[in-house]
Amino acid sequence: MTLIKDRLESVLKKVQKPARYLGNEWNAVHKEHHKTAVKMAFAFPDLYEVGMSNQGLKILYESVNAHNNLLMERVFAPAVDMEAEMRKQNLPLFSLESATPLAEFDLIGFSLQYELSYTNVLNMLDLAGLPLFSSERNDNDPLVIGGGPCSFNPEPLAPFFDLFILGESEEALPALLLNLAAYKESGRNRRDMLKRFSAMAGVYVPDFFDPLYNESGVLERVKKNDSTVPARVVKNTVSNLDGAPYPTAPVVPYIQTVHDRAVVELFRGCARGCRFCQAGYIFRPVRRRSPEKIISIAKDLTAATGYDELSLSSLSSSDYPQVDELIKEIDQALRGDKVRCSLPSLRLDSYSVELADRLHQGRRSSLTFAPEAATERLRKVIKKNISEDDIYTALSDAVAAGWQGFKLYFMIGLPTETNEDVEAIVTMCRDIRDRYRGRVRGTLKLSVSVATFVPKANTPFQWEPQLSFQEIIERQQILIDGFRKIQGIDLSWHDAETSFLEAVFARGDRRLALLLEKAWRLGCRLDGWSEHFSFDLWQQAFKETGINGEAYANRRFSYDDCLPWDHLDCGTDKEYFIREHKLAYSCQDDGGSN
Amino acid sequence: MVRIGFLFSRTGHLAYLSHLDMLRLFIRALRRADLNLAFSQGFNPHPRLTLALPLPLGVTASNEPGEVYFDGVVTSETFKSEIEKQLPEGLQIIKAVPIEPDAPALAALVEAAMYRAELRSFSDLSLENRDPGKLIQNSLEMLLQKEEILASRTGKKKKISYLNVRPYIIEAESELTPGGLAVLKLLLKAGSRGGVSPVFLLDQLALESGFPSLRAVCWNLHRESIYYQDGDTLQPLSERM
Repeated sequence: MTLIKDRLESVLKKVQKPARYLGNEWNAVHKEHHKTAVKMAFAFPDLYEVGMSNQGLKILYESVNAHNNLLMERVFAPAVDMEAEMRKQNLPLFSLESATPLAEFDLIGFSLQYELSYTNVLNMLDLAGLPLFSSERNDNDPLVIGGGPCSFNPEPLAPFFDLFILGESEEALPALLLNLAAYKESGRNRRDMLKRFSAMAGVYVPDFFDPLYNESGVLERVKKNDSTVPARVVKNTVSNLDGAPYPTAPVVPYIQTVHDRAVVELFRGCARGCRFCQAGYIFRPVRRRSPEKIISIAKDLTAATGYDELSLSSLSSSDYPQVDELIKEIDQALRGDKVRCSLPSLRLDSYSVELADRLHQGRRSSLTFAPEAATERLRKVIKKNISEDDIYTALSDAVAAGWQGFKLYFMIGLPTETNEDVEAIVTMCRDIRDRYRGRVRGTLKLSVSVATFVPKANTPFQWEPQLSFQEIIERQQILIDGFRKIQGIDLSWHDAETSFLEAVFARGDRRLALLLEKAWRLGCRLDGWSEHFSFDLWQQAFKETGINGEAYANRRFSYDDCLPWDHLDCGTDKEYFIREHKLAYSCQDDGGSN
Repeated sequence: MVRIGFLFSRTGHLAYLSHLDMLRLFIRALRRADLNLAFSQGFNPHPRLTLALPLPLGVTASNEPGEVYFDGVVTSETFKSEIEKQLPEGLQIIKAVPIEPDAPALAALVEAAMYRAELRSFSDLSLENRDPGKLIQNSLEMLLQKEEILASRTGKKKKISYLNVRPYIIEAESELTPGGLAVLKLLLKAGSRGGVSPVFLLDQLALESGFPSLRAVCWNLHRESIYYQDGDTLQPLSERM
């Protein structure tokens, strides 16, 4: 152990942002390894700046380290220069807090937030000196587990993992680790242990399930191969947020991270039910934290971290009942601390603008909104229920309150979309510019960001194909041509290549593990970073494995098809998704009820 | 408004923080300490805390001056005892004193800085049979004989300009250590009236010595003291506090 610490010195002198790798940040937890029954490494498969912004990490770090006989330490994907030094000097991947090699932990838990981080998972296992495939690891190797949104379709990763925890883990993870402590004492073999774990709620052991394909390679069903394990795995849900563990003294990074602020979660889940949004479904039902609890967390957080910004976070924060009252009370409680509150996501309505107005002090540069689609018809299809009127009223209010610009998020490739819907994005933005440019102080700043729709598991759009590669390019061209004629609007869009890969893995099955392994061996990693992403390498991986990406991304599933994630229960049943999917096409609305 | 000056040291892994990281760290520590920090006026008020001279990333230090303003009554003793509880291992407040409100800003006084650079190791096989300490020593002599050492700067609009930094080297000595390695002492001009980075000079030395790769040379770099001009002589800024 001390060996890594000593050798670290000369490595740190050679890499960019060495403070990513120190592990002694304020509030970091240092426990004695020999006095702790179960040791877990929380592995975030992306750079420190990204991982340290993840609220899930902070929640689990708190919930595990709160137990005396459990410990959790952090590790992130090393940057390219760090990886090169580590490989050159034969330095294995180590945890930040104690510089312990990952292979010495009882368990490594990967946070699976987005598909483009999958190659980093393999790279981290390799840097840890562990075999990639769970079948090649032995009883003395750490268990490798996964959790987070992507574990609702973990099949492309299944062969690399021992188990996944579905759903919210702040209660389930410590329970699993305590179970592991008991197992360690009894000393039985790994398969017995996994069997024992699979009896726990939300625990999915892929090894106990076999995907069966027909002659033409279509998935027919996923069949359990052990009579003692449950046939369906149901996600975990925290029932009472007030009673759930919450990090009031999270680690405070030295370097600036993506979201460098204190975060208090107002509620979990979202009642809006936008049909493309996976988070809106997998975090159901809506559960609120009480105002008293929120205020006490807010106070503790700012006292323990020294942050000057407090984010009131949720999927749709302005939906919190009497959120204006709550904000007043938080302001009162933090009086004198010079802490400013912020809302991460604003709905396009007057009420939200009023909230933003109240929260924001200082220069009002820009507000961010997500209309997602530019025609009322398409917004109805995706169940983003805001009218043209709502949009312009909200923008007018914002301009009147002194905001000088807007960031607008749209999506292309949504089901039923036509070229007219795409052209409407251009028209709407031109309208906004024309309407408001004379009404702000200085020049109106408008930036428009356009993502490409990726169909996700456990949404009403899970059966939908992604737009073909060629069509994505064509519709982006409509935008590029359209915006070229409009001065003063800044347009950005997501690369078709990365959106395509996301769709492949979001709806992929277990056969994609070989593609992933091939891509990693060819050198793919940090795919979420445009400077590291190489679609050429990915194409080579498709070619060499004979896997047809289009068959995953651009295929329309039928309601009768077996979906790779059908044996995993996200809490909302398939009939509901079918109903919603049909409703999308008939352009109706069931009133927003679940 | 109360103005307090302080001296701090930075050791161990905290050397890997950038100047901005340090400012953030001090400000958060002060907020946790619940001391009533004063803020600048204007649209985006900032806490009034300055460190006299930015510490380069990777450099440890023993006598770094800084200053901070508070609203209301805070004594230098409370400041020291309260902020110490909020600082990570590796940062230590050596001293805190009140400063006259109309005294010049510490940063404006900075004239020079003394660095100690210890050649720690080199991982270049081609140098195994040579004497790296001697090599560095010779290169230092050669470097000092030059009338011009050009450093490039990237200015606005990515325009590159060159500056002769030779005049900014006030003193440079080297000494061999028993292990055959070298220790350098560099007194360099620093602050708003111009200066040279010790890291740049060490890179020049490595180049001069013919180390094929700069990355092969590993230094321990330490800032011992910061100086101000007192008549004809340089005096340690720490002694004004």
